Amino acid sequence: MGDEVLLVGTDLHKAYGGVVALFGVNLRLSAGEILGLVGPNGAGKTTLVDLISGTQKADKGELMLANRRLDGPASQRAGMGLARTFQRPQLALELSVLENIMVGRAGRRHGSAGGVIWGAARGMFGRAVREDQLAVIAIAEELNLDRLDRPARDLTLGEQRLVEVARALAQDPLVLLLDEPFAGSDASGVTGINEVIRMVQRRGHGVVLVDHNVDLVSALVDRMMLLNLGRLVFDGDPQECLSSAEMQQIFFGGGTAPVD
Amino acid sequence: MLGCTYALVALGMYVPFVLAGTLSMAYSTYAAIGGYAVAIMVAKAGLPAWFGWCVGPLVSAVLAVLLGWATRRLSGFYLVAVTLLFAEAFQSWIQSNDNLTGGEAGFGNLPPVHFFGWSPSTVQFGIGAVALICSIAFLVERLRFSPWGVLVRAMREVPEAVEAAGARVPTMQLAALAIGAAIGNLAGALFVSSVQSVNPLTFTLSLVFLAVFVPIVGGLGTAWGCLLGAAVITELTLNVHALGQSGMLIVAVGVLVILLLAPRGVGGLIGSSRTLLVRLAAKSTARNG
Repeated sequence: MGDEVLLVGTDLHKAYGGVVALFGVNLRLSAGEILGLVGPNGAGKTTLVDLISGTQKADKGELMLANRRLDGPASQRAGMGLARTFQRPQLALELSVLENIMVGRAGRRHGSAGGVIWGAARGMFGRAVREDQLAVIAIAEELNLDRLDRPARDLTLGEQRLVEVARALAQDPLVLLLDEPFAGSDASGVTGINEVIRMVQRRGHGVVLVDHNVDLVSALVDRMMLLNLGRLVFDGDPQECLSSAEMQQIFFGGGTAPVD
Repeated sequence: MLGCTYALVALGMYVPFVLAGTLSMAYSTYAAIGGYAVAIMVAKAGLPAWFGWCVGPLVSAVLAVLLGWATRRLSGFYLVAVTLLFAEAFQSWIQSNDNLTGGEAGFGNLPPVHFFGWSPSTVQFGIGAVALICSIAFLVERLRFSPWGVLVRAMREVPEAVEAAGARVPTMQLAALAIGAAIGNLAGALFVSSVQSVNPLTFTLSLVFLAVFVPIVGGLGTAWGCLLGAAVITELTLNVHALGQSGMLIVAVGVLVILLLAPRGVGGLIGSSRTLLVRLAAKSTARNG
């Protein structure tokens, strides 16, 4: 472990129509590392997460996960060990908390036609799914989520984020991409998400943490990348990043993009 | 027996429609394939009827996958329209194909069903049909709560997240359609085995239009609601003669009334009145104790 590189992105480009969202961004994540991705709104943070997870396709550039090329659909990349949360939580509101986390546990088994058919046959004729439920309950307990039979509709925004993180954790990912997990979270939610980040790190896996709250991120991460207007402007130690000229310029100085 | 047929068509629609959220209207086609598979095996190939029962669902499932693949970019009204057209076209094809399907006349006087020398009486056949439907409802309910069912229900609301969790959403949608078609197929096989004849007008779109209401009337939540809904719909169609031969009209009005009085269907009404009774009972025990 240690210096083993998990995720590499080289020269990533993405434009929406004429608007450039990412321009030639490079990225490296080692095993056991927590990487912070910060920048003002519209800097390209979520676009970068989308390109890595396969939710969107890059116009140009290459991505490697554990020495394998990442270029298929999102489901295939998840099968290779990527998991993500969304800036706007994507939970099935009609389903219970337990069922939403179950999506993460069951997803990878249904990544091929054979898996889908086998899954349906097992669902109808196979043994009870007690084993899956126990695994999901164990994850929920680690995050201090209770009353798992509540529908996701009844959750606060902070709780929804926590359930999303739990769903991603249930995938047992090599690289966990967290897109603004703290927005709308209360203190216990923040603690729970911190706990997850440490847990993934202890397993020797990597975390990419996206947020525009630079103080919160810098306290948690090993390395920080600062994006502005689709370009990478700083990559290095979190404290150095906070005191860098680029950071001063973007967040406190002339302000090339609005901050909220 | 008509009730059993509706229950099976409704159970077939339940898997893709209620669980996965894709409304295919080609169920008269799947039922027709089921019916004709039995008839052709018996009358043309001289094989036992149960052979048709086994082949039909496979044919229907394959057809559902092809149709689902072809219409994968459509949703809502346009999906309904295209699958309806397909069902119409398939019916015309049955009518015009004299060699395989017997054309307009279809097949009459099929021999009664028998399993390895044992021919069930009408009552025994009815019991068997109800048992078949109950076991399919049971399997569908198991499927709903399995990890597969959880993924299918989740992808109805958040396909992006299910895809990001590693499941192939398009493949799962096709699988849901195939399972539904196979179950709908059994409806046709059951009906034809029961009445011992089939022609192009046996399975028309009115079957689909009625079956679509079955899960709503019975209560959208569970597969058992389909059974209850089928019973109510059949009763309204066949046995209420308030306005002469106006079964369809009565069903339409009945569905509206039921939906106004019990938005969660008859099943939901029974459920909530049970909760009410339990609460009343608890209250009176508390008062007495």
